[in-house]
Amino acid sequence: MKSERFQKTFFLTRFSFKRDWLRLSVWTVVLIGLFVGVAAKFNGLYGSKNAIEQIIKTLKTPAMVSLFGKMPSGPYTTADVFASEMTVFMAIIAAIMNFYFIIHNTRGEEEDGILEMIQAHSVGRLSNLSAALLEVFILNLVIGLIYSLGLQFANLAGTDTNGNFLLGLGLGAVGFMFASIAAVIAQLTDNSRTASILSYLVFGIMYIARMITDVSHSKYTWLVPMGWVEKFSTYKDNNWLPVLLMLILSIIMTLLAFYLNSHRDVGSGLIATRAGKSHASIFLRGPISLSWRLNRVSILVWFFGIMILGATYGSVFNTIGDILKTNPMMKQLLDTKAINAANILIIKEFIALLVIVFAVLALVPGISLINYLKTGESKGYLEIIHATPTSRTRLYFSTLFLATLTSIAVFFGGLYGLYIGGNAVMSHYLDFSIFLRSFYGYLSPLLVLIGISAFLIGWLPKLVAINYGYLILAFFIQYFGKLLKLPDWSAKISPFGFIDKVPVKNFDIATFWWQIGIAVILIGIGYIGYRRRDLIIN
Amino acid sequence: MLNQNVPILHIDHLQKNFGKFHALKNITFDIYPGEVFGFIGPNGAGKSTTIRTILGILRASGGRATIFGKDVFKDAVEIHKRIAYVPGDVYLWPNLTGGEIIDLFLKLGHSRHTLKTDELIKKFQLDPTKKARTYSKGNRQKVALIAAFSTKADLYIFDEPTSGLDPLNEEIFQKEVFNLKKNGKAVLLSSHILSEVEKMCDNIGIIRNGEIVETGSLAQMRHLTRTTIKVQTQIQTPELLSMSGVHNVELGNNQTVLSVDSDYLESVMAYLSQKQIVSIQATPPTLEDLFLRYYDSNNGGSNNEK
Repeated sequence: MKSERFQKTFFLTRFSFKRDWLRLSVWTVVLIGLFVGVAAKFNGLYGSKNAIEQIIKTLKTPAMVSLFGKMPSGPYTTADVFASEMTVFMAIIAAIMNFYFIIHNTRGEEEDGILEMIQAHSVGRLSNLSAALLEVFILNLVIGLIYSLGLQFANLAGTDTNGNFLLGLGLGAVGFMFASIAAVIAQLTDNSRTASILSYLVFGIMYIARMITDVSHSKYTWLVPMGWVEKFSTYKDNNWLPVLLMLILSIIMTLLAFYLNSHRDVGSGLIATRAGKSHASIFLRGPISLSWRLNRVSILVWFFGIMILGATYGSVFNTIGDILKTNPMMKQLLDTKAINAANILIIKEFIALLVIVFAVLALVPGISLINYLKTGESKGYLEIIHATPTSRTRLYFSTLFLATLTSIAVFFGGLYGLYIGGNAVMSHYLDFSIFLRSFYGYLSPLLVLIGISAFLIGWLPKLVAINYGYLILAFFIQYFGKLLKLPDWSAKISPFGFIDKVPVKNFDIATFWWQIGIAVILIGIGYIGYRRRDLIIN
Repeated sequence: MLNQNVPILHIDHLQKNFGKFHALKNITFDIYPGEVFGFIGPNGAGKSTTIRTILGILRASGGRATIFGKDVFKDAVEIHKRIAYVPGDVYLWPNLTGGEIIDLFLKLGHSRHTLKTDELIKKFQLDPTKKARTYSKGNRQKVALIAAFSTKADLYIFDEPTSGLDPLNEEIFQKEVFNLKKNGKAVLLSSHILSEVEKMCDNIGIIRNGEIVETGSLAQMRHLTRTTIKVQTQIQTPELLSMSGVHNVELGNNQTVLSVDSDYLESVMAYLSQKQIVSIQATPPTLEDLFLRYYDSNNGGSNNEK
């Protein structure tokens, strides 16, 4: 009975690898390149005692703790710096990768009707789910092992073999843990979109929870599964307990997913789809309203999600913006007014670092809305629309309009959340104009990225997804550029690199206009391409 | 309103290449007001590509196609104001209801939800409150059909519209198409179901490997083919084996079966009538015979058989 339910699991796993090999390879290469590439540079970056001391000072500020997690106690080596800078970040990327593969290969396959055809053969009920889990398990294991081996070869000052394997395999384990969580969520909903939204929601809550516990009482971070990665204490205590916890949670989640899967019908979820209206509301009448109607839930989730993230970051302002905490000597050197000014400056520096996070996150829903012109086309959803008097011009600009508006609104929401959250805890009022300066400053690079997607839609529709890659690259350079001492020219690869550190620096109107110019040109060229090309047909 | 002598759809040597692949090599046909045009051909012959090209979804590589005298790509928006289309595979947004999608399509086509729409929903027995995610293929087709039939258009394009419908709904579809025809509308119906085409279409175009190999009415096409005759005679008829225009003769003791080219029917009948006919049964070629005649031959040359 048992084996019958798992019939052909290994065959399906092999088949999945064959089907996904390109995507699997791209993810693996990118992740390993990122991790091992950074590791290889680290001895040069933080080889000297002086350099280590400097960066540790930065990493110990509450602002950095909120982003990268809490540092174990010293003394520190190059390897310690590496572990504290990379662990949380790599865990986030691992979550994104695992969500993608699990949801795509379970609920996605089911939604497309592929599972039905597979299940009609002598294939066990749980085979598809277990094959998908097995696939990502192997993926995470291989990536984790290569991380470990890469660390062995990089041979950072202060590493030990135990720590190398702990960090590598631990990151693999956290990836699989997120995969198993997504596998459960994929059983609950009856479509992959909702499954993705819910998975990221769970992830977002964990991320925020670990951030709050990190800056306040870091022992509570043990309560957050995502926070376990910070508890490896790599190269210090080399604690394998978090890895064990992750595996236990993964097993529980896997069993739960199996249970839920065998207690439901193919195509259905536990959260049922309700009936709706028999008539369209008067608002549903054109491309903009259609796009809104299709995406309103995810747009609202993005908007409020980012706003809450902003408010959470804001709520640590009082810890961050207290220079006396990290530097008690200051009290003797500066008067209250000067200390206040110094505190505000620290907060502004922190905001300048966060803006890039909000801007990049805000672009995700915008780019995804634009890319619908391609995915909707290739999946056939837009075929009837194209046969109506709706012109391509209207469809293109309507979509761009909603996408741009969404990105700007989500971006604004993040900063507004930051403003609200910050002022809730600060004794010293932070004027909204500080936040607006960041908002205006990042508006133009935001539009350039939108423009790139518009251009791709018009001329290279099959490659629209590469803008996400560009976005991640831009984020990586902005976020890690200083920490990894990347060369100055690297910042100029993305439009974000041309923006002065707002709100610390002033908003530069000239940069704003030339970037807007580029965005408009990209959108215009994209329009010409979109108007004259074949639509993609399946 | 529409001039009966001016074609609504005019396709002249239309070509479409995808890279090096010639999907459409030479498509030529016209559709006039009040005409139901059947477009038949096997999978991959280029039916949907033709339809998507005349809808301006694909850009023609050569030749010319006009609807209402306007260029199908450049004037797509103007043309689309007066056409209705049901694709072969209907994909509907999973999180909208059928009713919402029907209304949306109508609004996008500058039409409105009317009594006719409600009537069609009832006739096709569609539950418009259900999310499209829960619809079967047939129900998704119904959504597109209801929207198309309640649109006031001059040209209706159906790409295999009944492949998911049950016989009852298929009949409703056929009735609605007859109504359109009665009102002087033009209909392009691409289909695999030959009995449907035979029953509904005034003219037929057969497409093969991106080329129209035959157009005309079924009667005209029949003229090009053979009638099957089963005959019983008192006197033996061995001469049939050598008569011109006679094929596939099976001489039996009781019954003889033969195929006759339409042009030779008269001479063959004259010959048979001298042989004391006991019983005779003549079957005109069905569309299926026609179809198979064009597709069965592996060498691709249907003409050398004539």
